[in-house]
Amino acid sequence: MLELKRALDAKGHCLLEMPSGTGKTTTLLSLIVAYMKAHPLDLTKLVYCSRTVPEIEKVMEELRKLMNYYEKEMGMEQNILGLALSSRKNLCIHPSVSKEREGKVVDGRCYSLTASFVRARHAADDAVPICEFYEGFDAHGKEFPLPPGVYNLDDLKEYGQMKRWCPYFLARHTITHANIVVYSYHYLLDPKIAEVVSKEISKTSVVVFDEAHNIDNVCIDSMSVKITKRLLDKCSNSITILETTISNMKENDSKRLEKEYKRLVEGLRDATIARETDMALVNPVLPSEILEEAVPGTIRTAEHFVAFLKRVVEYIKTRLRVQHVVQESPAGFLRDIHTKVCIDRKPLRFSAERLASLIRTLEISDLTDFSPLVTVSHFATLVSTYTKGFTIIIEPFEDRAPTVSNPILYFSCLDSSIAIKPVFNRFQTVVITSGTLSPLDMYPKILDFHPVIMTSFTMTLARPCILPMIVSKGNDQVAMSSRYETREDTAVIRNYGNLLVEVAAAVPDGIVCFFTSYLYLETIVSSWYDQGIIDQLQRHKLLFIETQDAAETSLALINYIKACDNGRGAVLLSVARGKVSEGIDFDHHLGRAVLMFGIPYVYTQSRILRARLEYLRDQFQIKENDFLTFDAMRHAAQCLGRCMRGKTDYGIMILADKRFSRADKRSKLPKWIQEHLKDTNCNLSTEECVQICKRWLRQMAQPFSREDQLGISLLTLEQLQSEEMQKKIQQRAQGI
Amino acid sequence: MADEDETKEYRWESGYEKTWEAIKEDDDGLLESNVADLVARAKRKRAALKDTGAIQLGMMRHLFVVVDASACMFLQDLKPTRFLCVLKLLEVFVHEFFDLNPISQLGILTTKMKRSEQITVLAGNQKKHIEALQQLKDLSCEGEPSLQNSLERAMNGLKNMPAYSSREILVLFGSLTTCDPGDIQKTIKSLKDNNIRVSIIGLAAEVRICQEIAKKTGGTYNVLIDDHHLKELILNQVQPPAVAGSMEASLVKMGFPGASPIVNDGTSDSSADHAPAYCLCHIESETSSLMGPNGYNCPQCGSRYCELPVECKQCGLTLVSAPHLARSYHHLFPIKPFIERAQVRETTHCFACAKLFVEAETNVYECENCNQIVCLDCDLFIRETLHTCPGCASDPVTAQMKTN
Repeated sequence: MLELKRALDAKGHCLLEMPSGTGKTTTLLSLIVAYMKAHPLDLTKLVYCSRTVPEIEKVMEELRKLMNYYEKEMGMEQNILGLALSSRKNLCIHPSVSKEREGKVVDGRCYSLTASFVRARHAADDAVPICEFYEGFDAHGKEFPLPPGVYNLDDLKEYGQMKRWCPYFLARHTITHANIVVYSYHYLLDPKIAEVVSKEISKTSVVVFDEAHNIDNVCIDSMSVKITKRLLDKCSNSITILETTISNMKENDSKRLEKEYKRLVEGLRDATIARETDMALVNPVLPSEILEEAVPGTIRTAEHFVAFLKRVVEYIKTRLRVQHVVQESPAGFLRDIHTKVCIDRKPLRFSAERLASLIRTLEISDLTDFSPLVTVSHFATLVSTYTKGFTIIIEPFEDRAPTVSNPILYFSCLDSSIAIKPVFNRFQTVVITSGTLSPLDMYPKILDFHPVIMTSFTMTLARPCILPMIVSKGNDQVAMSSRYETREDTAVIRNYGNLLVEVAAAVPDGIVCFFTSYLYLETIVSSWYDQGIIDQLQRHKLLFIETQDAAETSLALINYIKACDNGRGAVLLSVARGKVSEGIDFDHHLGRAVLMFGIPYVYTQSRILRARLEYLRDQFQIKENDFLTFDAMRHAAQCLGRCMRGKTDYGIMILADKRFSRADKRSKLPKWIQEHLKDTNCNLSTEECVQICKRWLRQMAQPFSREDQLGISLLTLEQLQSEEMQKKIQQRAQGI
Repeated sequence: MADEDETKEYRWESGYEKTWEAIKEDDDGLLESNVADLVARAKRKRAALKDTGAIQLGMMRHLFVVVDASACMFLQDLKPTRFLCVLKLLEVFVHEFFDLNPISQLGILTTKMKRSEQITVLAGNQKKHIEALQQLKDLSCEGEPSLQNSLERAMNGLKNMPAYSSREILVLFGSLTTCDPGDIQKTIKSLKDNNIRVSIIGLAAEVRICQEIAKKTGGTYNVLIDDHHLKELILNQVQPPAVAGSMEASLVKMGFPGASPIVNDGTSDSSADHAPAYCLCHIESETSSLMGPNGYNCPQCGSRYCELPVECKQCGLTLVSAPHLARSYHHLFPIKPFIERAQVRETTHCFACAKLFVEAETNVYECENCNQIVCLDCDLFIRETLHTCPGCASDPVTAQMKTN
């Protein structure tokens, strides 16, 4: 709290690592709200970015508690408006549209009911369907702001039902004057969406990125484009549709096309002043100077533009017809496209904007079909806009199946700071926080910003409720490691298996294991099967395996939880960086132990990664190895952190790789884990590890009540006010 | 707790022990001492719990003891093995149980190979139980236990017990997993409906489902730290628990057989009551011999028993002696817990044992009634064994008050 206050005072950015379950969200919310109340001019808005919808809901719950407390203590209604925003899919209340399950389809159908031209047509002809909720909102909602309070997604829906206003547009509209906004990262980081949603958020806001350990990857993903052959084929289809629509329109209503042409001559600026609903079409970052220029003549008329698009698509198709891997810079790509099909940089740069405009003019209401074409146009715009920090990689086949031709063009962003830069520049305070951010000094480097505060907090605990251990060898003293050289060694695999079996025999309820990759998981499981280890394991616990298929994995998870709940006990084998390691919490009995088999290095042969490493080395002076270790350790920490979700929770963390005990790896673990990782537990054999587990589990199973925590990790008001505690706090404040 | 008679295994066969860790070093301030502290505090807490004198106690208890006999009971973290250690302690428990709850009944079940087996039926004869426990020692432990099966079986036995009795199950659970045929939640629910209290003592680690069962049925769940702690946990179950929910109060018919006068030469008495006879407790065993005139006769049917308390085999009457009842009486009127005091200057020695207080002892304990001061050991001894305060008893005024 102290640190956060300093950052707010300094109007700078900060980076905080706090273990999960220690009241991170509450701390952030209560301090920032209090700050907003105390200095209403300095700080007007809190933007809280989280990762998933359940997490957003959790934040809203915390906020509601806080507001109730304020109300109780201050005795009056609080003039604070907090709301959550999610996609149309989660907010739609239209009777038929809301039944769609895919986000894109909902977006498309919503657009087809609310776009300005559809509504105009409806005014002329009643048969054209529109959304009554949007109409309701448009007619009345804009004048009446939402009354102060806390609205989560369900509240918004309810309110919308009551007033018969569209909750999604209501929320979008309210963002501009709400005090607290909670939404997903992408609304701020993805330039295409940020442009639409977050444009009007004022400068004096605090932005909080929660669970932000992967923020650089989110940034990169939002700026990268992947084009496959199938996508291009779909593009060609949509282009033909465009062509026919244009020729139809020419016969019927050539005026409109002319009008558009004129508008384009006048400049894009005016073209973008369309109704807000039309913004559903995404819009990549364009430097503002480009926006002020007029669209170049070559693509001003519709036919020309379509022909232009056709050329681009055909060009990319020819580029995909390669037999070997090609890697080039955006500049090289531009030169090549110029020489081969005579396309200049400038029209390319405008292609996304121009396509959006064309689709608007043609009154195409079903946008879902055009998403491949939109992707290509984004690619064209991005490739011509940025020459630095990006690379183009064309792979004729996947590494795993080198015989099957499956060409893919990656336009990959190498610099995570590009996407997040506007956020840092615009807002006065950006708080990046997560349970696992170590090593902290890497983030400012790769995101290219200067934090005023950078701290890692530890937990104050009444009992040692995590037990991290590094197991480096099996009972036969053969070193355990997932190093490439020893990976296939049966002795290593057998030792891993024995470790798991013995831990499964000693640890109750749920155990989660993480492997470095799906491939490794598969090979290990099959050789465990041959060695009979699977049989042994199933004597103690049921076995579940995460696969790449999301539906299968969630089924496995449900059954895993069931097995833990009814006392049978279960082992879940999953993959670091997989779905399980990212969003799912294994609190209390669901994760009594986490095993990390090997160090989860990213697949180093990937060309995208290599390009990024090279870029990082050249631009930010980060050594390849440093970055790889950093990346591996943060994922390891992320996996380990799965089992600890609060102060009453406890869990064993076993790192089964010899290399973990080296100083460079160990020191990169979060401080709250390092604190409990004693030197004596750093080089254990399987047997020693199991002995320690057993004893520790017995200690942890002793009754543990609230009173035991009082005075150590939980303070009553009196204790907080006591002189001794005040002194301690003072000391700590000065010590920092 | 290790049994001296058992043949000791070789050192290299026994479990991995780090003897140097018995010396608890506490450099990071949190570790073992803290946990030991928690245990000590829990001890005091239990003592404090007993003071609420007005609560209704389930004095007449029907208890099923479920012993895990699965493969994991062969582990040697308790000496000599978990199973033998538990059986040994159970013998002590059975003895103590009947000592303190003379009008209660007990039955023993085991669970292994996913099944549950009945070792003894609910009965009030401790000899039989102890014998059965001794025979169990030869049982081989294998397979997985099934919580659900054993709970169901115990429940079937307890369901028809009279409403005024306290129905309880005590599970000694070594395994970390249970292999059940159906949904255990249903079992928990019907346990709750039948007002059966399930207490579980875990021998390895905290298992969620056990925690849940104990919590939902109003029992306790504890996990041992070592064998001494286990003994303490098991013996804690000897105390009759407070009544959960509403239990109807009713009168119970009991017989008080008069003891035969002990006659040393044993030949002169010719009254029918004291004629030598086979005692019914041992009549089934082949080694049974004609008993002398000593023994207790059921006042209703006249059957002879060599020990009390017992349930008459002939007529089903509960036979007790007056001291037995008196002994369970103290549960109803426990002495108030002594107040923890800092070292008092004027008193230099413990009232009970006359031990001198040294500087090292920080806390002494004072009786509320007679204001006498005793040491920690005496405090526990008075509470757990004596059940009467020596200060109050020796003071004629307070002693008089009590009898009135």
